[in-house]
Amino acid sequence: MSKQGFDVRVAVALAAIFFSGAAGAIDYQVHGYAAQGFVLSQHNDFFGDSTDGSFNYYEAGINAAVQVQPNLSFAVQAAIRDAGISDDGSPRLDYAVADYRVLSDATVQAGFRAGKVKNAVGFYNETRDVVFTRPSILLPSVYNDNQNQRSLVFTSPGAQIYGGKVAGQHELTFTGTINAERDVRESDERLLVILPMPFDLRIGNSWNVQLMDSIDGGRWQFAYSYFTGQLRLSTPPEFALAGRLDVDAHVFSARYNAERVIVTAEYVLTGNDNRLTLGGAPYFHSRLAADSGYLQAEYRVSSKWTALARIDGTYRDRHDRSGREFAAANPGVDRGTQFAEDFTVGVSWRPDEHWGAWAEHHWINGTTALQSLENPPPVRHQRWSMLMLMVGYKF
Amino acid sequence: MSSTVHPPVLQRLRHLLVALLLMLPGAAGAQDAALNVEVIVSPSLARMKLDRDLLRAVFTMRVREWPDGSPIRVFVLPDDNPLSDQFYRERLGMYSYVLRRAWDRMVFTGTGFAPTVVRSEDEMMERVRATPGAIGFVRKRESSSQNRFAPPRWQTLRLMTSAAP
Repeated sequence: MSKQGFDVRVAVALAAIFFSGAAGAIDYQVHGYAAQGFVLSQHNDFFGDSTDGSFNYYEAGINAAVQVQPNLSFAVQAAIRDAGISDDGSPRLDYAVADYRVLSDATVQAGFRAGKVKNAVGFYNETRDVVFTRPSILLPSVYNDNQNQRSLVFTSPGAQIYGGKVAGQHELTFTGTINAERDVRESDERLLVILPMPFDLRIGNSWNVQLMDSIDGGRWQFAYSYFTGQLRLSTPPEFALAGRLDVDAHVFSARYNAERVIVTAEYVLTGNDNRLTLGGAPYFHSRLAADSGYLQAEYRVSSKWTALARIDGTYRDRHDRSGREFAAANPGVDRGTQFAEDFTVGVSWRPDEHWGAWAEHHWINGTTALQSLENPPPVRHQRWSMLMLMVGYKF
Repeated sequence: MSSTVHPPVLQRLRHLLVALLLMLPGAAGAQDAALNVEVIVSPSLARMKLDRDLLRAVFTMRVREWPDGSPIRVFVLPDDNPLSDQFYRERLGMYSYVLRRAWDRMVFTGTGFAPTVVRSEDEMMERVRATPGAIGFVRKRESSSQNRFAPPRWQTLRLMTSAAP
């Protein structure tokens, strides 16, 4: 596949630079992470056959970064992740990026990056697969952890500009990314679109921006992120079915970082405009506005222990949060598939800089976060719960 | 000394008293006088002016070169070392977990380097002295605090604890 061909070429080029540059004063760093999760749920399956206890959830990665000159660096990360049906544990190039810094002093920084870059969306998207950077094992629904938007949002080939400016107590940062057109992995396609015929999905016209204000050394942080992309569906000529699924998302983020207490809230408003054509003529059109939001409090009991509590809600149609209208229009479909409200409590333990252990319990009302391939309808329980455990190491 | 007071008790008293001193406005003189950690830089940077903006930019790893163009190399103590906490708080006005979050974000997105973690203050001094463009921090020493005012009660307490067996 051409995408993988590109990935491999970038990796080889970076590896060549990395290993040829061993002479003298070139700075480099190598880091990595690995974590194994366990999910035990009641009634519904999440990340594997979790009603019987699932270890089908792990993540690992290794990266290298080389600074050739103070204003020029290269970095690459390879990663694997498994998460039930929603991720398959196959190795992938997570990022491979060249970074050129144009401006760099105490109050102003600016530069650009190219390669396979991480998309800055909300507080956690860029490092979402590294449990050490997440507040909890499972990210809140704003991030759609079980919904396979990996090819769409997480990371993608493209070009990025970034900048930062300090003004008094404010540190303003900007990241803007234009993503190249790309193919959706087959393992993701089957989860994004369900059709009785073979099809192909590509993503085009996708770009994103993030503006962040970090006040008083990061005590307060506010961010706005915008993401847009277009999924293009094609089928073999004999089926004559084609489609365009436009997605855009506005993410509003706020966080308060005190000595012991961290309060975080994020809200995402997602627009979906889906059009299908049959033989070139309009066949189906739907527009939906979905939204998700959460309020989360972390309490740092000590430098090693942190407790967390979170309320989280996600709705497929913000004008029909109960799903009743949808159920009335689609007889036989449970209204619970249209939303999920999740109350989570958790605790994490970081005995040293390398190790971490996490435990959390979710009480959930609604099944929208479930994968139907893991939970064949109609046997979904609207109210369910799960315990998640994870142990990780990073260096 | 025939005192029955155990060193840990003295230690605790000392911490308590220092905490109280820090809470009393003006008790420790100007805020700078309460500072107990100082920035150290490699000899090549001896004349660098380090204000809070530059220190924050350096320790959050946002800048990569000094104003003279030489590469910056940042050394820190482990996050759970109390001196780290004190330094980030006093000199940067930040919490160590906020810094760690920023470093992890850079390390796992390919957008920057993490600072080099050293195990002890001795290693810190050695590495900073030997590395061009290096910056780090250590506990303020007697010899290096001559240009700063130290509260006399602090001195007394230090003597008491060091006299204990």
